[in-house]
Amino acid sequence: MLHIDNYSNHILHNITLKIADKNLVLLGSNGVGKSTLARVMCGLIPSNCVSISGTKLQDIAPSKKRELINYIPTKLDIYDNYISLKEFLSFSTDDSLQIDKLTELLGISHLEQNSCTTLSSGEAQLTLIASALLHNARYTILDEPTSNLDPNYIKTIFEILSNSNYLQNKIVITHNLDFAYKLGYDVVYLKDGRVDFTGTSQEFFDQSNLDRYYNKHIQKINSNIVVSL
Amino acid sequence: MKKLILICSLLLVFVSPFIGEVDIDLHKLTDASSIDYRVLVNLRIPHIILAFLAGGILSLSGVVFQVIFRNPISTPYTLGVASGATLFSAIAIILGFGAYSSLFAFVGAMSTVLILFAVAMYIKEYSPNSLLLIGIALSFFYSATLMVMFYISTLQESYEILRFTMGSLDTLGYKHISILFVSIVLFAIVLYRYKQEFRLLLTSYEFAHLQGIKVKQVSYILLFGVSIVIGVCVSITGPIGFVGLVIPHIIKAIYKQSTDKLLVEMFFYGGVFLVLCDLIARNMTQTQIPIGIVTSFIGAPFFIYLLVRK
Repeated sequence: MLHIDNYSNHILHNITLKIADKNLVLLGSNGVGKSTLARVMCGLIPSNCVSISGTKLQDIAPSKKRELINYIPTKLDIYDNYISLKEFLSFSTDDSLQIDKLTELLGISHLEQNSCTTLSSGEAQLTLIASALLHNARYTILDEPTSNLDPNYIKTIFEILSNSNYLQNKIVITHNLDFAYKLGYDVVYLKDGRVDFTGTSQEFFDQSNLDRYYNKHIQKINSNIVVSL
Repeated sequence: MKKLILICSLLLVFVSPFIGEVDIDLHKLTDASSIDYRVLVNLRIPHIILAFLAGGILSLSGVVFQVIFRNPISTPYTLGVASGATLFSAIAIILGFGAYSSLFAFVGAMSTVLILFAVAMYIKEYSPNSLLLIGIALSFFYSATLMVMFYISTLQESYEILRFTMGSLDTLGYKHISILFVSIVLFAIVLYRYKQEFRLLLTSYEFAHLQGIKVKQVSYILLFGVSIVIGVCVSITGPIGFVGLVIPHIIKAIYKQSTDKLLVEMFFYGGVFLVLCDLIARNMTQTQIPIGIVTSFIGAPFFIYLLVRK
C-alpha cells in the first residue's frame, strides 16, 4: 500500500491517496500537479507524508527504496555525452542478456552502442521505458510514457503495460484518454491541485462524467475515446 | 595515435628533468656531491614531480566539479577556493608571516569550503546551482579584499602577492610533494569508494536518486575531498588556472568515452600537460616565466581548436 497523507505544497492541496497494490492512471489538465505528485510519491520532492507499507519513505534506506518505487520522466536527462544506451540500461540491471532481449522487444537494439544524448525524443522515451522494465520496482510511475511516440510504438507500449508479466504496479500519467481507457486501470483525476475523482475506469469514462471534466469535448464512440475538434 | 601520445608523454616526463638552464653532465651523476647531481635530485626532479602531481590533481578535480555541478566550465577555482588561498597568502605576506604563506593559503582554501558548506546547510533542497553562485560571489568578495591588500601593501609586498597569484612550481626538497602525494592518494581512495555513485552522477540527479544514491551526501563528500586536496595544492603552487578546465574536455574529445572510464587518463595527461608547460616556462626565455601564464597561453588556443574541429 502506497499512502500519501494530507500533502500540500504551492500547487497541490491536501492530497490524501491510498494506492493498493494495483495499477492506476493519473489524469488532469496541464499544470495541475500530476508530475509534482509523482515526484512527491517517489521522494524526489522530500516530504514526510508518503509511506509504503506503513513505513515513511524518508525512513527507508535508499537501496531498499530503489526496490519499492521508481519514476520515469518524460525526457531522458543525461549529463555525460558518451554514455551509451546499453551503459545507461546497465544501471538498472547487471543482466546483459535481459538488456538485449528488451532492446530487441522495443526495437532499439541497433542503438545499443549509440550515445544517449544523440537519441531522438522517441528513442529516448523507449530507452526510459526499457530502464523502467529492467528496474521493475514495486511501484513504477510512468510520466506520459507515450508523449513522443508514433502510433506503432504507442501500441507496443500499450501491449507492454497491459501484460502483467511486465512491471508490478503501474501508475501511468497521461493525456491520451483513449490509451488510459483501454488500459482499464482505476482513475485518479486531479483538478485545481486537489484529488477530484477516484474510481474505476468504467465510472470515470462514463459519458456524463467525461462531459463534466472535459466540457463535452470528449466523446465515447464505439468504445473509443475521441477528442471532438 | 593514443599509444604515440602515451609514449611521447612518458618520454617528456622522463627527459624533462635533464633540460634546463644548467646543462646536466650525465657522467657526473654518479658523484652525489657534484653540482649536476644536486641540481637534478634536489631541484629538477622534485620540480617535475610537483608539476606532474599538481597538473594531475587540477585536472581530476576539474572533472569532479564539472560532474557534480553538471556544468562544463566549473573548476575548484569557480567556487572561490583558489581566491581564498590567494587572499590568505596575501594577508600572511602583509602581516609579516611570509614564511608561513603556504599554511595561510591552505587555511584560506579550507575556510572558503567551510563557509560554502555552512551556507549550503541552510538550503534545504540540494541545489548545486546555489552553491556555484555562492562560490562566485565569494570569489568576487575575495578579489575585492585582495585589491584592498594590494592598496595597503608596500611595493615589495605587492610584488610577493602578485608572484603568488601567477603560480609557481618552485619547491625545495620533497616535503611539500609528499604532503600533496598523500592527499591525492587519500582522495583517490574516496573516489574509488564512490565510483558507482560517481558513474550515476553522470546521468541525472533524479535518476541517481531513484537508483538508491544519496546524491546530496555523495556530492558533498566528493566536493569536500576535492577541496582539501586542491587546498593543499594551491598552498604549494599558488593558483594555476586552465588545467582543470581544459584537460578533461581534451581527453574526452580524444577518447570519446564516458568520464568514469577516463579518470586515470585525465590525471595522467593533466600531469603531463603541466610538465610540458613547466618545460616551456623554464626554457623559453632567459628568466623563468610564471607557470600560470604558460598554461593559459598553450591551453586556450588548443582548446578553441578542439571546439572548432568538433
